[in-house]
This record gives sequence, C-alpha cells and structure tokens, in this order.
Amino acid sequence: MNQMKGNKFREIGKRVPIRDAASKVTGRKIYVGDMKLPGMLYAKVLFSPKAHARIKSIDTSRAESLPGVRAVATYKNTPQTRFNSALRFIEHKIPNTERIFDDTVRFVGDRVAAVAADTLEIAQEAVKLIQVEYEELPVMMTVEEAIKEDAYPIHEGGNIVGQAHVEAGDVDKAMEECDYVFEDRFTTQLIHHAAVEPHVAIADWSYDDKLTIYSPSQNTFGFRVILSQIFNLPYNRIRMSAPAIGGAFGGKLEMTVEPVAAVLSKMTRRPVKLEYTRRECIFGTRVRHGSIACIKTGFMKDGRIHAVDMKFYNDTGAYATSALNVSGAMSHKVFKAYKIENMRFHVNPVYTNTIVAGAMRGYGSPQAYFGLERQINKIANFLHMDPAWLQEINMVDPDSLDPCFHKPHGNPRPKDCLRRAKELIHYEDICKEQEESRDGRYRIGVGVALGVHGNNCFGAHRDVTTLMLKMNEDGTCILYSGSHDMGNDNVGMQKQVVSEVLGIPLDKIDTVEADTDACLWHLGDYASRGTYVVGMAAKKAAESMKKELQKEASDLLEIDPEQVELYDDRAWDSTQEGRSVSIAEVMLHCQRDSMRELCCSETHPAPRGPSSYGVHIAKVQVDTETGKTKVLEYSAVQDVGRVINPLALEGQLAGAIHMGLGYGLMENITYDAEGNPQETCFKQYQLLSASDMPKLYMDFVAEGEGEPGGPYGAKSLGECPVVPCAPAVVNAICNAIGAEIDSLPANPEAVLRALGRTTD
Amino acid sequence: MKNIKFEINGEWKQLEIQESWSLLYIIREVLGLTGTKCGCQDSCLDGGCGACVVIVDGEAKRSCRIKGCTLEGARVLTIEGVADGERLHPIQQAFIDAGAVQCGFCTPGMVMRAKALLDKNLSPTEEEVRQALSGHICRCGGFQKIVEAIILAAERMRGESDER
Repeated sequence: MNQMKGNKFREIGKRVPIRDAASKVTGRKIYVGDMKLPGMLYAKVLFSPKAHARIKSIDTSRAESLPGVRAVATYKNTPQTRFNSALRFIEHKIPNTERIFDDTVRFVGDRVAAVAADTLEIAQEAVKLIQVEYEELPVMMTVEEAIKEDAYPIHEGGNIVGQAHVEAGDVDKAMEECDYVFEDRFTTQLIHHAAVEPHVAIADWSYDDKLTIYSPSQNTFGFRVILSQIFNLPYNRIRMSAPAIGGAFGGKLEMTVEPVAAVLSKMTRRPVKLEYTRRECIFGTRVRHGSIACIKTGFMKDGRIHAVDMKFYNDTGAYATSALNVSGAMSHKVFKAYKIENMRFHVNPVYTNTIVAGAMRGYGSPQAYFGLERQINKIANFLHMDPAWLQEINMVDPDSLDPCFHKPHGNPRPKDCLRRAKELIHYEDICKEQEESRDGRYRIGVGVALGVHGNNCFGAHRDVTTLMLKMNEDGTCILYSGSHDMGNDNVGMQKQVVSEVLGIPLDKIDTVEADTDACLWHLGDYASRGTYVVGMAAKKAAESMKKELQKEASDLLEIDPEQVELYDDRAWDSTQEGRSVSIAEVMLHCQRDSMRELCCSETHPAPRGPSSYGVHIAKVQVDTETGKTKVLEYSAVQDVGRVINPLALEGQLAGAIHMGLGYGLMENITYDAEGNPQETCFKQYQLLSASDMPKLYMDFVAEGEGEPGGPYGAKSLGECPVVPCAPAVVNAICNAIGAEIDSLPANPEAVLRALGRTTD
Repeated sequence: MKNIKFEINGEWKQLEIQESWSLLYIIREVLGLTGTKCGCQDSCLDGGCGACVVIVDGEAKRSCRIKGCTLEGARVLTIEGVADGERLHPIQQAFIDAGAVQCGFCTPGMVMRAKALLDKNLSPTEEEVRQALSGHICRCGGFQKIVEAIILAAERMRGESDER
C-alpha cells in the first residue's frame, strides 16, 4: 500500500472490515426480500410481450375472480400522473415520460398490469389470466431507425430526447493545424448491473394514509419526491427506508418496483411485497446506455493531441429517465483527462423500443472513454510510439486548468497512476513478451487506458448533504446518515471520520441510515459523491460536536475549551500531561449537571467538482484460432486523494475490474427481430467467473495533502475504476492481433471478425 | 402434499410439503431461515448466482435446484448452522478479516461453498478455490477478497496462521 508517509492519523488509513460484516457472514443481515409484515400480500407484474403497441382492450375479470386475489392494477384504475423515475430533488426538471401503467407499451418488458394476492403462486396464476389485446405500433430497435426523420415518435416531440454540447477552444481551426487527424466510429452495448439482490419493495399504505416503503433504494429522498407527485401525498405521509442493499451499481437509483407495490397497497390497505425475478430485473429495470460515437482526434507528429471532436448518440431506451443527466455528465467528464485545448463534445440521447437505460456505475464515462482510449492506442501504433508514453505526454498535470471552464483541476494524479501501474506489472517486460509472440497462435497483448470520473454533481445541480450526530450519556454516539450503503462501506467511512475527529472508538459509534423520517435530507448515493461530499459532512458534524464536548469537558478539567484535546476515548488537558477525563464522564456531567443533550447537525455543499483518475494496464493472451481472450495480469492504480479505508477500497477496486472487464469482453444484451431481449438469465447473460479473473496488482496513489476540499484530502474511488477496464483490455487484444475492434464487447466472434476469420 | 423427514442444522424436522416446493422455498418460506439468499428465482435451469447454496449430505448444492420431495433422510446445513452459538466459524471470521464482505448478498452462499470445499480439502490451491466458486456471482468484489478469505481460513484451520 502506497500510503502517505508518516500517518499522522488515528483512524484514517486503517484497514476496517465493513461494520455489519458479522451479520452478513452469519446470514443474519435482514434484506427487504427477507422481510415479512403481518397480513402481507405478494405482487406480480404482467410485462409487455410487444415492443411497441397500444392496449386495445384489457380484461382483468378472470384474474380478479381467482380466489386469493386482492387487487388488480392497470392504467384504468391507477394514477395517470407522468413522472421521471430518475428525479433527484424537488425542483429537478427532467422529462416526465413514465406512468405506473400506461395505455401504450414501448418495449418488451414494459409494465402492463399487476396483481396483489395472498400468495406469490396465486399472483403468478392471476397475471396469466389477464387478457390483453394489442394494436401494434412501429418498432424501432436501433438509434439509426429511431432518428430517421419520418420515424414514428415513441414519445410526443420525437425520438431525440435532447442534447448536451460542450466546447473548448476552436476545434475546427485546430483540426486544420494538426499533422494527422483520425476519425473512427465506436459502439458500445447494453449491459445489466447484475447486483445479486433482485429489485424488491414492500409498500405499506396504512388507513392513516401513511405510505411506508422498504426497498434497497440508492435515493430514498428522491423516491419520496416522485411518490409524492404520483400519489399526491405530503412528505410527512411518505417514509422511504432502505434497511439493506444487496448491491446496486446505479441500478437501484431509479424508481422501478416501488410505485407498483405502493398502488397495490393503497388499493388493499395491506402491506404488499413485489420482488422481481432475475429475468424481470434484466428487462424490467435499467441497463447501461448503448452508444454510437464518431470520434475525431487531431494530433502532431510528436504525439501531442491538439484537438478532439466527439459526437455521440446514446440509446436511452423506451423512457427518458436519466437520458439528459447521463448525457450532461458525459459531456463534462471527457475534459478532465488530457491537456487538450480544443475539444468539442456533443451528445443526443435517443428513444428506442428497448429496455430503459439508466444510471450505471460510470454514468456515461465508460462509453466516452472507450472510444477516446481506443483511438489514442491507434495513434500510438501509427506513430510507432509506446502507448504509455503517448498517454503520459498528454495527461493533465496537478494544478492545471480545465480547458473548458478555466478552473483548476485540483490535484489530479494520472501520471503517478501510470508510473505505478507500469511498475506493478513490469511494463517493459510484458511489452517484450508482446513482441516475441507476434507470429504464434497464442498472442500476448498489452493495453493501457486512462479513466476519469467525478466526485459529485457540482456544476450540474445542487449537491448537499446534512449529517446529524447524537451523544449518549455513556459517551457513545449515533450518526444519523441519509447515505445508502451499497456494500462499499461509505457509512463506515463516515464513522472513521467521526472517530478521527472525536477520538471515540469505532465500536462506540452506531448509525441510523437511509430513512426519510429519521435522517436529514440527503441527495442520494450516486455520482461517486460519498467520500468527497458526505465524508466532509461527517467531518463538519463531528467538528461541531467536538466543540460541545470540549465545552463540557472544560468544566471538569477547569481549563478553556480550546485547551481540551479529544483522543483515545478521553478528553485531555493539553496544558498538563496525563490529565484527562473519559468521554463517558464528560457526557454524564453534560446530562446531569449542565442538563443538556448533545445533538449536532451540519450541512455540507460540494465546494467544487474534482475528478478521480485511474490508469489500468492489461496483459492478455489471445487465441487466434478460437478468438478467445484470457486476461493474464492486470494492473490498476487509482488516484483517490487520500486512502481512508484501504481494505474497503481494494475490494471495491477488484469489483470494478470484474465489472469493467465483463463490459469489455462478454456482457451484452441483444434482441431478436421482434424486440425480445435474448439474454435474460445468468446462463445467457454471462459474467466473468472467479477463474476468468486475472492476477491483479492494485494500488492507490495519494500524494501530498490529497484533494483540496475532501475529508483529509480524500476523494472517490466508486465509479472511476470501471471506466478504463474495457479500453485497456480491448487495446491489449488489438495490440496482440494487430487488428482493430471498435465495438463492445470484444468477444471471440468480434476477435475472429477483426482477424478476418469469419464470413459475416 | 408429501410428508418428509430431514435434518436441518442438526435438528430433525418432519414437514408436510408440496411436491413443487424447492429446498430453497422450504428453507426460507417454511422454516423462516432467510440467511440463504435467492438472486435468480425462476429464470435459470442451470447457471445462476450461487446465493442459495447450502450443504446437503456434505456437498454444496444450489437449494433452488433441489426438489423438497427428494430430501427424505437428508442432512442439510444452512448458513444459520455454521457458527457455534456466539462463536463464528473460522471461515466466517476469515471473510470478515480479509475484507471479503461487501453488500453481503452473495456471502452466505460463498461461506457454504467454502465450507464444503475445506471440509474435504484443507489445502486447496488458489485455482481450486476459484474453480469451486465457478457457480457463484460476486458483483461487488470480483471474487478477489473471497478467494483470499478462503485461503486464510484454510491456513487458520490447519493451524498455520497465528491469528484466531
């Protein structure tokens, strides 16, 4: 671990297992799917078998008369309010295209109706009894079809949802100044998040008109806004709670099952559980946006990149949801990587009759950086230069300016990541192996890629978190955090920060989490904002509490409050060595003598939007007969400012590599001619297995004081490391075989095609 | 309905079950042992997520794929039966110490798979551990820390590691 030298901290930098690990290894952690409420009903959804159709008639009578069926919901008896499942906060404005149920279905997997029954079996039986007649509408499965001028509009206003456009310098003029200009078309596929926990919600609409929903949501406060719009309930009548999350990766950031369970609970006034099967999760929730990109890069003979022009179409699927958010995020993230003065990014998200695309780890970056990094590899090969060297001369430096907004990047360390990644994998040696295997059946390839991701929503919309801290009279404390812990231990990180400030050990800090009635407003857990924003909010709340504890302790120690230091679970007299009182004594004094309760909250708005960086190097072996790729070794080094919990970061980084390599090599959702998704279970939708994973070399660079504005200089890991994986591994394959693959995934068929070994 | 008698976590149970019920359904819905998870439900005939793995007569099995009516006389161990009261099993402790627990949804199945492996072979190679995990999905951690945890547990169970 390449930690900052001389750790001056007590808690920051410690290897801490996730705080609920013991519950999880014993099977005692209760997820929503494990919960049962008294009188609970079970729901099942009827999904559209048609890619695009109007419902001519729907007959629910047979379903309703089945014994044990308590409610059948369709567009006819449910609120027809249009909403956007990706809404984040009360004044957020994004296109409202969704309804709980609509009279039109826009993809195979769209919701048609739902049943609540005494048992799941009865609900399953009942949905089969619902008879629907469809009037088919024109189907557009690809962006190319959907953007045609005479294309049938999937939503009013046409199939182009909107645009995002960002420009720096004078791109057209700069292109003319370049020695060479490369232009390529890149495409990326739809993929499934594959959190092992399926989407599930239990809704309980009481006769007192309080709607309580338990679901593994990444954005309880955002869901409350949408539920309020749909059901016309004030916020005090909606409680969203996320008791546990079995993986999310963005797939649980947008509302899916919750309003269905809620409407059935409203109709029956009983708790209703709706849990999707894997098949339903794959087609009925969200996927990563597919994309088509035209990327033009102008460069000089010496390898300097002078201008980049990127034009994207994102396939947003059947509903708007995150279309504009992802496009907006993409359009900014490409400006953070290289010293390129002249750069233009344009994107149009487009409706098609495919699965709804939404938030997924990386949020536009994986698509943008796939093309960009592939093209840089091509340029290096064309100039007979080492791709790593070409990367290095173009990468941003610390304290340099963003070419677009002329604001400081902060402390970006991609060059340190590159140096360390090369060291770890013995870069020169593996490049030699690549040369030596040139003519064999099994070729060795080496690929390098940079990935960049942000740390919050600064510049896009407000990004604020408020945390609350309460002391108990025995000197222990409770942190009230709106954070949703998806397994990355972001809440544990907050505890470490609180412990560092107050000197109270971790096992004396507990948490209340992700509950709209119990916690203060929180933007939601996305945009990799957990460390930089929420971690800083934890620091502020703890510092506020520290002042109160110093004040109370100063009574007992008979010194000024500023002379009190807190560590080792005690308050110390800094003027006299060895003199101290325990925090428990301080709190007893506080409650008994001062007659005060201590509860502090602090709000932290993101002060700026720094980026996190990762450089990954893949070494692959490609079988030129079968097209199969084996990733042999993989080096991944990330710039995270300062490491708060190395144990958690290593696990998260390894998971990102698994997800990113799957994106590069195999994961893919395809369709037949009628618009039916073809990969709807884990047999068909394959992920890398434990044996497929390469030998990993992972590290973090944390130079100087880290990232300005982060807690102790820390910034995110989160989404960033999923960005460089696909281009790194595909660059390695292309360098091995001496041919180009510009479409994901680079599966054996794609490799054979690139080698000219197939007929199609 | 059919009457079956089988052992679950060291206790013999007699149950009236429907022919269609899977072992997973019996464990979670009838016996209320929700530690065993389900990540695929109806969709796969084989392949899958591995979250529902339990040990049946010493073998790690996907409980969603076992018909309840085949269980007569079987000895079933679920995640609830792994710890000895307050004392965690060394595999569970190793999962915690190695940082192998993230969202935790795959964890019970992983622990059961690891137990079945180490009960037979206390010195598996890394590749044997990885092969054993082939029917499991870990989306949070890419298997890395889980593999390390199982190797650490094996070391401790062989008495080679000082800790625990």
